Amino acid sequence: MTEFVQGTCEDMCPQHEIKLRTKEHLLHFFERKQGEKNVPGIVVKSFSRSAAGIKTPRKSDLRTPRALQKTVEYLLKDILMDKRKPLCFVYDFIFDRLRCVRQEIVMQNLDTLTTISLLEPTIMFLAYCRYRLCTEAVDNFDPAICNQHLQECLKKTLCCYDELSLQDERPFTILMTKRRSFIESLYQLFNLGSYEALQRSLKVPMNFRDPIFCTAQQMSLEMYRRNYYKVMKLMEGLPHILAAIASLKLPVLRRELYQVFSVAYNSKNLTVPIKWLQTGFLYSDRGSVVNDCKYYGVEAQSDGESVKFSKAAFLCDRNPINAVHEGFVEEKLQKLYLPEVLLLKKF
Amino acid sequence: MFGTLNNYLNGVQRAWSGQDGQTVASFVSLSDKHIMNRNLYLQNPESAVERQLDQPIDEIVSAHLKVLYYLGCEPRGYMEAYKHQTQCTQAVVKMLQLLKEENWCLPIMYAVCLDLRILAQKCEEEGKSSKPGEILEKAAECLMGCFRVCAADNRSSDEDTKRLGMLTLVNQLFKVYFRINKLHLCKPLIRAIDSSAFKDSFPLAEQITYKYFVGRKAMFDSDYKAADEFLSFAFQNCSRRFPKNKRSILIYLVPVKMLLGFMPKKMVLERYDVLQFHELACALKEGNVRRFDDVIQKHEAFFIKCGIYLLVEKLKFIAYRNLFKKVYLIKNTHQLDLSNFQSALEFVGEEGITMDETHCIVANLIYEGRIKGYISHVHNKLVVSKQNPFPPLNTVS
Repeated sequence: MTEFVQGTCEDMCPQHEIKLRTKEHLLHFFERKQGEKNVPGIVVKSFSRSAAGIKTPRKSDLRTPRALQKTVEYLLKDILMDKRKPLCFVYDFIFDRLRCVRQEIVMQNLDTLTTISLLEPTIMFLAYCRYRLCTEAVDNFDPAICNQHLQECLKKTLCCYDELSLQDERPFTILMTKRRSFIESLYQLFNLGSYEALQRSLKVPMNFRDPIFCTAQQMSLEMYRRNYYKVMKLMEGLPHILAAIASLKLPVLRRELYQVFSVAYNSKNLTVPIKWLQTGFLYSDRGSVVNDCKYYGVEAQSDGESVKFSKAAFLCDRNPINAVHEGFVEEKLQKLYLPEVLLLKKF
Repeated sequence: MFGTLNNYLNGVQRAWSGQDGQTVASFVSLSDKHIMNRNLYLQNPESAVERQLDQPIDEIVSAHLKVLYYLGCEPRGYMEAYKHQTQCTQAVVKMLQLLKEENWCLPIMYAVCLDLRILAQKCEEEGKSSKPGEILEKAAECLMGCFRVCAADNRSSDEDTKRLGMLTLVNQLFKVYFRINKLHLCKPLIRAIDSSAFKDSFPLAEQITYKYFVGRKAMFDSDYKAADEFLSFAFQNCSRRFPKNKRSILIYLVPVKMLLGFMPKKMVLERYDVLQFHELACALKEGNVRRFDDVIQKHEAFFIKCGIYLLVEKLKFIAYRNLFKKVYLIKNTHQLDLSNFQSALEFVGEEGITMDETHCIVANLIYEGRIKGYISHVHNKLVVSKQNPFPPLNTVS
């Protein structure tokens, strides 16, 4: 067995790195003291790839679990709420610093409970930004990389849960149970309809299946059975971040339904009211329905009240449109105090 | 039966120099009677074994005797036994490499590999590994060592090639991969067998096992036609003398067939004790959507254990289709009011079904070709084709 180093640094950034980065002018905007260049304010250890040629880190370069916890809280509270810069800028900073936290979890081989408590907020942060930044240009925010990291964190956390369930001498507290249910639901919704995820959902122990988890599981199952309408109906009832993550699948769901309808409502003269599509497909306004219809080759009528489906006219080679911010999700997110939710203190 | 260690070693040496693979195999198998002989339970048998046996069989036998020693301990030392069985398997790899252009030794490999997998399984059940599946995964790596030697043996003649041993190993590996849920690892193995020139000359028993696993794999990949073909081959060729195996095959074949539109006969299900499917089929035939859900709930544990829960959930569309067909037959018209369908759904006990959802269910069935017709939203009506509005399930894929 390899020996793992145990960190001793009680700060968010080792002294060594602060000195180095100050000297090399590598302090980030958020790390400068009152905006002055090259004067360190609150510095957070940054991510650097482990590679050949780099020495094994010293004890003093690695943070203790307490310091890591403090780092996560600082990032998701103070930095996230800092409104001086746009969110995608903030995201880049937090993303990098949280990645470093994850790296230290692996380097120090931290215990399951600590790992879970550090990864859960990371997941929440990535999930929130995945939705919030979905309309950004790719230069500002890369959804594929975000997806990849979110999936990795989710899977790692689920493995930790399983491990914890095996050593059952320490029962989950009420808060931990709630947090796990939430993360398990998030995993289902992020992987809506995937066989692998569904298979897992069947093995989730009973005490973690709260009503929200059951909804998420049912949505995933309905997605798998291609009952897209039901998926959308259930989506409306999800809480904030979960609704946000699920809503990223809306473009795909709508596309599938447009295709189904193009066959089922195929007709030369008969029409379908836009209003009906708007409520059923969870659109917040009539204009978006018309836009989407046009994109997929569904003909809008001149009265502006209805559309005509045609099997032949449907453009099946069109990819689903990019996700956008949905009205019903925005409403749910509006009332939140983010740090509380992302740190899983309130649900 | 062998008396002393000397007798046993003499027996091994005689069989080995006679190139009698089968007999040598029984001497190192954990399902042979010689394992009852306490004289063979030795912690350090090397010197005695090396004195009497040639290389490379000496190393295999030494490791085997150590396995016997640890299995004879009180309480049984499964973990230690497994470790030495791993060494035994590694010694087998060496033997395969040494005996170029001959394959009489394959039975030895079969026996040792089988025991390795069983011991690894035993250790997992005992909960000896820190992470579930870890030991089995290690065992699979070890088996892969044998597989590589066999697969690479392409210089020997067709009768003497070790490639004939590939399928048995692949089946062992399948058993491991399915147990630890690493199905993606099966793909290269399938490719190796499919491209093999000996595809049809492997022993029938091994072919049946192979088709059983490949069929299950196809099922998980949603390739139901292929799954039907493989599993049907396995079921038809599996002898009646093995009802347990036939039952295992049937558990996957039946839902695949149902998905393709063929409902099972009660008699067959009864014979193999899988009447759960009969209840399911009855609910489907009736078009009783609610009862279908209830049956799944009732046998949830069974379906999950067999890994077919999601597959049977997929059958629900059949219930909808049959229910709507009933409505059509009662109404006996080509223009059907969608509220009739909604009432039918409510009648069988589906709660909270809205008109909109009814629309979508019908739309899906039309899209999949299970109902021929179209919906008029304005009139809230389904207009079905005059000819064959509900095509038989097995004609629609």
